[in-house]
Amino acid sequence: MTAFIIRRILWTIPVLLLVIFLTFVMMKQIGGNPFRRTERAVPVAIQQNLERKFNLDEPWYVQYALYVKGVFTFDFGPSLVSRDRTVNDIIKEHAPKSLELGLYAMLWAIVLGIPAGVIAALRQNSIYDYGLMFLSNVGFAVPSFLVATLLIYYVALKWGLVPTNGWTTWQTKILPSFALGLLPMAYFARLVRGSMLETLQQDYVRTARAKGLRQRRIIVRHVLRNSLIPAITAIAPLLGFIITGSFVIELIFSIPGIGRYFVTAVSSRDYSVVMGVTVLTSVVIVLANLVVDILYGVLDPRTREARS
Amino acid sequence: MLSRNRWWSAVLLSLVAVLLVVGCGGDDDGEDGGGGAAAADQTLKWGLGSEFLLDPGLATDTTSSKILSNIFDGLVTLNEDLEAEPAAAERWEENGKVVTFHLRDGMTWTNGDPVTAKDYEFAWKRALSPELGSDYSYQLTGIQGAAEYNECESNCAALRDKVMVKATDDLTLQVTLTSVQPWFIEQAAHHVFLPVNQKAVEANPERWTRPENIVTNGAFKVEDAQPSASITLVKNPDWRDAANVTLERVEGRIIVDGTTAVQSFEAGEVDVLDEQLPPAEIPRLKDTPEYELYTGLGSTYYGFNLKNITDINQRRAMSLAVNRRQIIDTITQANELPAKGFTPEGMPGFETIVGEGSPWTPEEGDIELAKEHMAMVQGPKQKVAIVTNEGDPNKDVAVALQSMWKEIGVDSTIRVMEWQQYLEYLGPPPPGAVDLFRLGWVGDFVDDINFLELWTCESGNNNTGFCNKEYDALVAKAKQTPDDAERMEIYRQLEAMLTGEDGELPFIPMWSITYNNLERETVKETFEINLLDQVDLTKVEIKEG
Repeated sequence: MTAFIIRRILWTIPVLLLVIFLTFVMMKQIGGNPFRRTERAVPVAIQQNLERKFNLDEPWYVQYALYVKGVFTFDFGPSLVSRDRTVNDIIKEHAPKSLELGLYAMLWAIVLGIPAGVIAALRQNSIYDYGLMFLSNVGFAVPSFLVATLLIYYVALKWGLVPTNGWTTWQTKILPSFALGLLPMAYFARLVRGSMLETLQQDYVRTARAKGLRQRRIIVRHVLRNSLIPAITAIAPLLGFIITGSFVIELIFSIPGIGRYFVTAVSSRDYSVVMGVTVLTSVVIVLANLVVDILYGVLDPRTREARS
Repeated sequence: MLSRNRWWSAVLLSLVAVLLVVGCGGDDDGEDGGGGAAAADQTLKWGLGSEFLLDPGLATDTTSSKILSNIFDGLVTLNEDLEAEPAAAERWEENGKVVTFHLRDGMTWTNGDPVTAKDYEFAWKRALSPELGSDYSYQLTGIQGAAEYNECESNCAALRDKVMVKATDDLTLQVTLTSVQPWFIEQAAHHVFLPVNQKAVEANPERWTRPENIVTNGAFKVEDAQPSASITLVKNPDWRDAANVTLERVEGRIIVDGTTAVQSFEAGEVDVLDEQLPPAEIPRLKDTPEYELYTGLGSTYYGFNLKNITDINQRRAMSLAVNRRQIIDTITQANELPAKGFTPEGMPGFETIVGEGSPWTPEEGDIELAKEHMAMVQGPKQKVAIVTNEGDPNKDVAVALQSMWKEIGVDSTIRVMEWQQYLEYLGPPPPGAVDLFRLGWVGDFVDDINFLELWTCESGNNNTGFCNKEYDALVAKAKQTPDDAERMEIYRQLEAMLTGEDGELPFIPMWSITYNNLERETVKETFEINLLDQVDLTKVEIKEG
């Protein structure tokens, strides 16, 4: 297991190199000028001062080498646009807020999605099942920005239950995390329902029942535990969704998270911020996949053995 | 066997239901009515549209500019008529190229240091330094030696000493300009001219703008600032004119999304919404008592690529065919002012410079006249390529133009580009594939030179290919003309060469820009945005609701 983890961590290095390379090439490819924000042309002298200051006057391979060095020394340099801050400042300040948002969204998904799937499976073809699966379809189909706007309109503005935006008190955190958690919630519900139904047909469940075990114990110990494996595997790909979904949610709810920077940095050509945030996101996704693989082994001993 | 399970399902389901409609906290600020006496709580809750940067040398956006001019004390400030008024400088003298500012005695920084002329000298030279790389340093290059220092690659220290801004004593700042610049005093109200505290900047060169490090000398001081989220200002009791400041506290919060911002205002979370409202929301809001419209110092236009649209009659016809009123009323919706020329409405001297306005820009268009002019064109270009940048109303405007030009027999294609790529694509010179492009211009200071200079041959912002030596000579002459009336007359001639009866019409003037605000009635009377998009918070007073 340890060897497996070390091997996986070492694999992140070539992955990161590739990410840096692709980000670098793409950002160079799309053109634009980080120092020109309005229609006003930047005077030549000022443009040169700025390029010198941010090493953009160097040949491309030097710039690339500087980025690689930056990534592996955890110093992404100054932001080209937020001029009084470094990329490290930006990540330190804003990434925790996005992480918090993502965690709460996952929490909504787990707390509501899994029970919904369980109920739907246990009461298959009942009104509960149909109702919940209908809601799950809605969760899949309706984009999060629409849900967000509707939630703000009704819950915050019409009913006055929570503030419309911001990320300060716990009341402000309810709507954005729920809006972001809706799709994973719908996904979990569907997944858990499907795998529950399958597990319920298994011989060992029948055996457990024949032994006269109590229903609750059968469901929790035997059925649920085995039905959750697909849900766990889904966490990693869902993380990608949570990250991209947070761009929109952070914008709509005025959350000072890192997702917003991802979008604005690309459109303002803030190369160092784009690099920093992309690398950060890749690390998060790689690590999340690793954690999921480990969890997978914990829940299902068969996969653990197969690997060793 | 499932019977035991029924309660289980019920519990889970109700949990789902409860969590779905979970609601707690909430706020029920009373709605405010019209103004009367001053309210006991003098706190302004201010919705801001974008990120702020508290360094006068580095800030480039209007949100920062609005905050900066209230936390730092400039030498001069602009009154409602955009004339310079004494601020930190109690008076000044203009003697040809030499301008001398006399500072007030007894002003202090928030760290207790006295405010001296040296602070201004330091701030201006800092903004000019190549190491800082200030975007707005060009505003200072009217000062002798400034451009040389700003562009230096070697020998910078010596060049720095040659910049002709000198604190001759603690309260006197002497500036020598490269030429007579009649607008210099007004220009000095720009945020790049604000002072900074040398000690504070040098103690933390990279982090001096953090609330725990920042030292200011304005009417308000920074209590707290959360990047991308909020800023809290409190009244500075030691400010020179604190006795006349009513407002005690400003709670600014950044709300980037326009729709959310409007909802936040409607929920009573902010008193002033100071950003562009989403066009779709304006029709609903503009009849509410909280709606406020300001004119901005900016013009929007559609430029011609003169290499492609060579015939003046076709340019006239295409401008005549545009129904500006219709586009403003149905698409952009921000109550923009239909253009009468290039000089924007509100510019000092507008009446003289633009007068009745260009004959080629009737507010509602003139299709018949347009057709007549089109008929006079030798070999008209009947297929034109329009480019515009993405963003809310831009594409819709292009589509409207497309249908208007169709009526005079001109077919067009529209290409929408991302902003940064668009700017790069347009040159100058513009690529041959472009016939028409959308752009705008927003002034930095209140003199029309700021606008008219755009159309000189060498201008980096002139993407039309318009180049007229006579025009350039007149621009140069205007710069040497300190007398306002004489200068306005030159501006009138320049404007006529562009959009007048016999003007070359290198672009189609569209409209002067506006700022659409929502302001609670308790502050509406005293919260004012001027033409340069600045706000003076010392004048704000919250009235009893």
